[in-house]
Amino acid sequence: MKLKKGWVFFSAIIMIILAFGCKKSDTPGRCDYDGAKIEPTYTVYFTLQDGTERKFCSIICASMSFRELKRQIIEVMVVDEVSEKKINASQAFFVESEVITTLHVRNRIHVFSNREDAERHLKRFYGRWVENPFRQSVE
Amino acid sequence: MILNTLSMTMIFIGALSVLLAMWGGISSFALYKKWRKPLTPEEKTSLEDRSYLVLLIMVVVLMIRLINWPLFYGTLQSFISDIEGAMCIFGVTQVKPGLTRFLEFLKPLNFFLIGGWLILHVLDRATKTSPLMRRKLFLLSIISLLVLIDSLGDIFLILGIAPESLVSCCTTVTDISNRPTRTMPLSIFGPEYIYSLQVLFFTTHIALIGFVGLSLTFGKTFLRQRLILGLLILFSFLNAILFLLSQIEIFAPAMMHLPFHHCLYCLWQYVPDSIAMYLLFIMGTFSVGWGFTTELFGRVGEAVDLLPNYLKKIYSFAFFSLSASLILLILHLMVD
Repeated sequence: MKLKKGWVFFSAIIMIILAFGCKKSDTPGRCDYDGAKIEPTYTVYFTLQDGTERKFCSIICASMSFRELKRQIIEVMVVDEVSEKKINASQAFFVESEVITTLHVRNRIHVFSNREDAERHLKRFYGRWVENPFRQSVE
Repeated sequence: MILNTLSMTMIFIGALSVLLAMWGGISSFALYKKWRKPLTPEEKTSLEDRSYLVLLIMVVVLMIRLINWPLFYGTLQSFISDIEGAMCIFGVTQVKPGLTRFLEFLKPLNFFLIGGWLILHVLDRATKTSPLMRRKLFLLSIISLLVLIDSLGDIFLILGIAPESLVSCCTTVTDISNRPTRTMPLSIFGPEYIYSLQVLFFTTHIALIGFVGLSLTFGKTFLRQRLILGLLILFSFLNAILFLLSQIEIFAPAMMHLPFHHCLYCLWQYVPDSIAMYLLFIMGTFSVGWGFTTELFGRVGEAVDLLPNYLKKIYSFAFFSLSASLILLILHLMVD
């Protein structure tokens, strides 16, 4: 009798937890690397061979994912900080400066579609040119 | 200091625990020393009355300290929005990394010792002659010292976490390729370590449940063998290490739907019911240990007759908790 009670209690716990917990959690507007909230200005988009899209909160998260997904990626899109328009990563200018864009990963790499904007940022915030972190996907 | 309901509660509980742990620790040690001496019946009655008062108050304090462990993480979680760069508890732990890490080790130890002590206390209360009183008082004085350190640590930590501190969060630490949780199994199992680790964890976990079940089936004779219970606790410790490794490397990323992210604090945040799974696992693993400590310290006088029944209850609880955590994990992986 005692054992039966135990099993009823046990099953009840499992059922309650499952009822509340086991549902597919979609996280729109969240980074596909670490689940952090995405700021549209600093988003990086990967288009994969199967047609799906992955989005990331920063260049750091995107480049960490890039290492793992390299073979599946067909296109990398980044956002120009000034106009907030999506551009292909191969056409963008990347500057590393003192300004942090995404605090939790301390991302200091900035994206510009226009060379003058990039140079202005570089001079103002003691930056330096950096290579396209997603260069291999273009090759 | 970040002021909110949880931080105030932590400070209040901490201050109260410091005072009572100091008083309780000193009193219980003094009582322990007196308990040994030959006493007149009046002195004996007075000593017993004093001991029961100390025990009554300390039981309340220890029960609160049990709740303190989850409350600690709840409080850190509540600080996330006030810490620049923190997106999960990991970020908050980076404000005072040394002290936080120390408390993160001390709290489970305290939880285990308090739980074990409370079981001994319940066993002793069921007897007529309190044969475990001296042991209980001695252990209480040691536990009080740890509670004192823990409580002081809580107070210093909560007071020391300044709002708008700037930190880096988990992504840049838990996901690097040379993290120890990856390199260690990689060096043992090779590049296919994910699969090996997964198989090994399920094997040890099911084996642990099986051994606990066996000890229940074989009943009193089996449960009385201290060596077997000692081996069981070692096995559950090994299983706990494998659980932690496999959670970080395999299951947490799968449950979060973030295949390259290995932070357990993020898991608790994004998949809150995983906390129940962890809780069940911890209770199951600790119960195996509590069974051993009860056998170790509870085999005195009148308590000997009650011991098998208590051990059976403890191991039944361990069996249920470990099975439930495993079922939750499997169902999660299947549904996801």
